[in-house]
Amino acid sequence: MQIKNPKDFWAGLMFIGFGAAFVVIAAGTPDFINRMFGDKLIPGYQIGSAVRMGPAYFPIVLGGLLALLGVVIFLRSFVSSITGAAAAVKLPFTILDLIAAVAVFVVATFVAKMLGISNDYAMLGSALVLSVLAIVFRPETKALVLILASSLAFAYLLKPLGLAIAAIAVVFISAYGGHEFKWKEVTILAIVLVIFSVLVFVKGLTLPFPVCPDFVESCPIR
Amino acid sequence: MEWFNEIYVFVAKVFQNLGIGFGEVFKLQSVTLWGYTLNNLPFNIIMCLIGVMLGTLIGVLPGIGPVATIAMLLPVTFTLSPVAALIMLAGIYYGAQYGGSTTAILVNLPGESSSVVTCLDGYQMARRGRAGPALAVAGIGSFFAGCVATLIVAMFAPPLAEVALKFGPSEYFSLMVLGLVSAVVLAHGSLIKAISMVLLGLLLGLVGTDVNSGVLRFAFGISEMADGIGFVTVAMGMFGIAEIIANLEQKEHREVFTSKVGSLWPTKEDWRRMIAPILRGTALGSALGILPGGGALLASFGAYTLEKKISKYSHEFGKGAIEGVAAPESANNAGAQTSFIPLLTLGIPSNAVMALMIGAMMIQGIAPGPQVMNERPQLFWGMIASMWVGNLMLIVLNLPLIGMWIKLLTVPYRILYPSILVFMSVGVFSISNQPFDCFLMALFGLLGYICVKLECEPAPLILGFILGPLMEENLRRAMLLSRGDPMVFLQKPISAAFIIVSVILLVIIALPALRKKREEAFAGEEAG
Repeated sequence: MQIKNPKDFWAGLMFIGFGAAFVVIAAGTPDFINRMFGDKLIPGYQIGSAVRMGPAYFPIVLGGLLALLGVVIFLRSFVSSITGAAAAVKLPFTILDLIAAVAVFVVATFVAKMLGISNDYAMLGSALVLSVLAIVFRPETKALVLILASSLAFAYLLKPLGLAIAAIAVVFISAYGGHEFKWKEVTILAIVLVIFSVLVFVKGLTLPFPVCPDFVESCPIR
Repeated sequence: MEWFNEIYVFVAKVFQNLGIGFGEVFKLQSVTLWGYTLNNLPFNIIMCLIGVMLGTLIGVLPGIGPVATIAMLLPVTFTLSPVAALIMLAGIYYGAQYGGSTTAILVNLPGESSSVVTCLDGYQMARRGRAGPALAVAGIGSFFAGCVATLIVAMFAPPLAEVALKFGPSEYFSLMVLGLVSAVVLAHGSLIKAISMVLLGLLLGLVGTDVNSGVLRFAFGISEMADGIGFVTVAMGMFGIAEIIANLEQKEHREVFTSKVGSLWPTKEDWRRMIAPILRGTALGSALGILPGGGALLASFGAYTLEKKISKYSHEFGKGAIEGVAAPESANNAGAQTSFIPLLTLGIPSNAVMALMIGAMMIQGIAPGPQVMNERPQLFWGMIASMWVGNLMLIVLNLPLIGMWIKLLTVPYRILYPSILVFMSVGVFSISNQPFDCFLMALFGLLGYICVKLECEPAPLILGFILGPLMEENLRRAMLLSRGDPMVFLQKPISAAFIIVSVILLVIIALPALRKKREEAFAGEEAG
């Protein structure tokens, strides 16, 4: 069997994965797996009846349908009339890269737990590690990884370091993901955006964001 | 004389209601900003102005659309009154239609997907030194269409809401099925992938606490997921972040064709030729806008195709025919506005922007649906009246400001996207003041990016996402009332009609001959 349409192939797999995941989490793991582990691996929710639907009813129906359609799309990829360049998946990363990225997050979370520090550091650390890995080993994914990393940086830097530094981090990290990076331009942009955000979001819309880092005793702006 | 009396009452009621709306739009309020209290401020008008200006801005700038912008501003609207918030967000949507046409004509670059077809003839007109009349026609057409569409909304929304008030859970469920099916039918590309995206959206919408049993579903023990996934988070990730990444992968090449705009005033010949296309475009756009899954994009494309078929000057199309600008520009604005009808009367979104408007209403604590018109007439009619005011502002302000909008086009994307990212991050973070939402946004950004690469449209997912909990709720109630008999959806006449139409739509679209035609239509759209 030859995969004629890789786009359909992967889309089918994705939908099967999502559908199956929702069904399994809602219905719980099947009995034979439970017996293997001697305990209910995933307990699942109550299914109920058609008259009184439990929390698992609708998700199982939808998830089942989704997995079914996924199978159709998956099988279609072997007989598709759309082939060649039109069907080629132009993703800059492979499924292994994706698994590796997930693994980085899992390991980081685990390490943070071991060290007894906040999970926020694990997230920041993973974003940093993945950015460096992407720049060094997968330059094609630089834009993707750095854009995603910049929003993570904002999320986990905002509370400890304040809006100003978090916004600067977003600008520098995301700008580095672009085609050209000019220090002067990016610096000016960062300063303008910090002033704008502080004036509009903190002063104007009174969002409860800290502006300065935690350790600064007397912040000029509150 | 019975019928005369009825018409008289109907028309008088429309005007009375519009009166309530205009009263709300022009209402003077006291507003506190930066600690200063300003009295006697026509605040709603100011928000409308901000909305349409912002809409024009993002319409002009390629790479950021109304979906991402409205999602970005949703958390901000929390601090506004419901009327002001919805007026501003609506302004962004139809303002974007005006802005998109400006760049389409002058730079051959559709700022908005709905102005893709305007490029064809608008840019050719500009190259022949007739940029001025092209812009004027686009503006006049849009304004006329906007006025008519506002009237249509004012006339048809109340009777429709009246009918919808009688809907039970089974009717609602079937209506949502119909809405989702038509959204799928009108989506680009593969039908089966679009259905899968709807299903995935519905499932993601179920994440969080189940209202009936209180069970926490699909939350993986993460406390931040108890309230479900924020709808803004999904929209910003799937549209905003994914769009930025996709844009960055392409090399930046934007030639700004700063031709002299010249005289704006169309010639006598132009006036004569543009009247019929504007009327036809408005009619078609209004009709297509009401359809679930419709809206500005479909309207502009349909109007251009229609005009090309029936125009006397069809040989001039693609070489700068004024009809090719007038018709789609009227249609996209009409469609943008009439797509508010299903939202306002049924509480059902017809496209991704309307789904965001539902989100905005929910943030304000308003349950969208037919009861909004009776319970909050100020909000309902204020929004409709604001559309007319907004259209007037757009035509008065935009034509003189064209030079400024063109200058904005020279702002490089490498300046734009970090700014967009900062605003999106601030917006998402502020929803619940948790870093977790930003993490989810990044995750959905990745999902959106992968989906685009696998040719799965993200728009159906958003629609499914917003309808997921509603559908489950209505399904449960309908089944409870019918004692578990699924035939109830076919026994009630209105519900049966919705289901039958959905099935017919699906069957028709699955027929090989029509499927080919649909693919050709979308292919033509992409080529244009």
